[in-house]
Amino acid sequence: MLDFFKNGLLEFLNYTGFANAELGNVILIVIGLIFITLAIVKEYEPMLLIPIGFGIIVGNIPFVDGLQIGVYEQGSVLNYLYFGVIQGVYPPLIFLGIGAMTDFSALISNPKLILIGAAAQFGIFAAYIIALLIGFTPMEAGAIGIIGGADGPTAIFLSSKLAPSMMGAIAISAYSYMALVPVIQPPIMRLLTTKKERVIRMRPPRAITQKEKILFPILCILLTAFLVPSGLPLLGMLFFGNLLKESTVTKRLANTAGGPLIDIVTILIGLTVGCSTQANTFLRVESVLIFGLGAASFVFATAAGVFFVKIFNLFLKPGNKINPLIGNSGVSAVPDSARVSQVEGLKYDKTNYLLMHAMGPNVAGVIGSAVAAGILLSFLY
Amino acid sequence: MKNYINKCLLLTAGMLLSISLFGQKISDLRINELLIKNDSNYTDEYGRHVPWLEVFNTGYNSVNIAECYLTDDTTGLASGTGIKNWYRIPKGDPKTLIPQRAPVIFYLDNDPLYGTFHVNFNPLQSKTNYIALISSNGRTVIDIFEYPDTLRNLEVSYGCIDDGIKTVETEDGKEISNIDFLHYFTPGSTNKVTSEATKSEKMKEQDPYGIGLTLIAMSVVFLALFLIFAMLKIFGKWNKKTEKRKAEKKKEQVITAKSESVESKVIESATGEELAAISLAVHLYLNSSHDEESEVITIEPPVIRYSPWSQKHLIMKRVYRKK
Repeated sequence: MLDFFKNGLLEFLNYTGFANAELGNVILIVIGLIFITLAIVKEYEPMLLIPIGFGIIVGNIPFVDGLQIGVYEQGSVLNYLYFGVIQGVYPPLIFLGIGAMTDFSALISNPKLILIGAAAQFGIFAAYIIALLIGFTPMEAGAIGIIGGADGPTAIFLSSKLAPSMMGAIAISAYSYMALVPVIQPPIMRLLTTKKERVIRMRPPRAITQKEKILFPILCILLTAFLVPSGLPLLGMLFFGNLLKESTVTKRLANTAGGPLIDIVTILIGLTVGCSTQANTFLRVESVLIFGLGAASFVFATAAGVFFVKIFNLFLKPGNKINPLIGNSGVSAVPDSARVSQVEGLKYDKTNYLLMHAMGPNVAGVIGSAVAAGILLSFLY
Repeated sequence: MKNYINKCLLLTAGMLLSISLFGQKISDLRINELLIKNDSNYTDEYGRHVPWLEVFNTGYNSVNIAECYLTDDTTGLASGTGIKNWYRIPKGDPKTLIPQRAPVIFYLDNDPLYGTFHVNFNPLQSKTNYIALISSNGRTVIDIFEYPDTLRNLEVSYGCIDDGIKTVETEDGKEISNIDFLHYFTPGSTNKVTSEATKSEKMKEQDPYGIGLTLIAMSVVFLALFLIFAMLKIFGKWNKKTEKRKAEKKKEQVITAKSESVESKVIESATGEELAAISLAVHLYLNSSHDEESEVITIEPPVIRYSPWSQKHLIMKRVYRKK
């Protein structure tokens, strides 16, 4: 009887997480806790970092294989939820919500700002080139490069197609750097601009009509999707969501897409992406390289946006000039990068409010990164 | 009457759509590969070497091939009288549901009793040099696969070089056949078995540093966003013009009204503060003060939105204070 009790207890102990824990699991659980701390204490992207951070903890609880509980075990609940990530279901749904929440007025009223959103996509391709030089395959390099688009759903969408094995590291890297936009961007912006440029006052945007707002998503989907059909899942959903919002007759649908739906999908995507970082698949040299390349792509994207504005200003009349501090907003981390422009602008002129102007390139960045993802998909997939 | 017509139109449209969808699915099927002389090749489930035929679903939806016909003699097709001698693929077998972009194998052994995929003819005994796949109505030919007579004496498979594609267009616009003797036997898998490099591998060879792709991609991103820019610019200008026209029209109306009304002159000469006071008074008069009440009393029933899950008194244990 005593032997039975002893053996049973030992057998049970072998099933516990304590018996199966490895150093990698512990490291990742600590990373997960750091994410949660950053989200709660510093309020860095809490909507994303809390689900991801908790997901990292859940994904790294050690267990005995075959119990159908792990995210990579077919038939487990987490595996079913993860299906939406690997099949690229969640990112377009998030884009639907983003479309339903985004106001493109700033862009419509000052259309030249859209070109900044195009210039900032250089970060994607700069990281692509470096990744190729390091020795990644073109598909892997494309998936890594998209981190520079500063768009989590796009990064997940593209990496699920081009390099599924790297998706966890890419998604974590993209979301981490998006949260760190207020830390990464300001030094680059200051380095590349003069004091005189930082106090440029931009013309107030004109008032736009509802008709313009309604026509914008319709014309945009026709123009962009015909040019890059492979970007259709993202672009189609983005503009559809925006039409729901701007048509004013589908308020309920817009509220659902921009409210409960995007919240549900954000929870699922955050948790499952976090879970996908199981120590045995995540803790590799590759992941460290991905993080390094991700940082480089953000730096290049910010620099490209600021540089582009400086060059663009050479062709603009005085009074029409653009403040280069909004160049960083070309990356699509909405609205954090626009907020960085505002904060930096106020440091040099306390009455120069750049937020509304920066929202233009910011939302253009969302379109730009979706188009870039479509191009990479059509060339490499 | 109008409603009735609308309903009829809707029903007809629905029926047409369902028919076209059905047609579209079945019409995705293609005879993809054929081997007639089988001495040492693929065997059926009984271990026999018999002629086989591969049907490929070229679509991106599952298609059920059940109730369609396979035949080597289409005589009587138009009248539907040929059906008697054709092989009708039995329904009820789940294997007849062909997944998207997938093949299914039929054994042309003239032994239909051996199972769903064993047909009632054998091309070695046929007088014709074709095999036809006909839809369940017995009249619509889904695909006809013609083969050379020499195939009966050669142990080589014959089929579409690219799965399900019968013809291809040359650079000078001519349409040529895409059916030929195949290099490999590929029953139950894709015919295009090559050691060709993937897109990614080709890209690595042609553009090892990624500069070419960067230039192309950045150009396309700029082009896409430039098109939006141009569209917004044009639309903005047009909108401005419309607004201007509207403003001018309004101005004209105001001028006309001014000449007609003396009061308007008084208002025009008023200061901003006076105008604000007048506006406030008008607003209060119209919205706040009521000389006459509607005398309608509405009793709204109280709505309590709660769930038993959130009711503290239901889920919490009561602790009584001692006095």
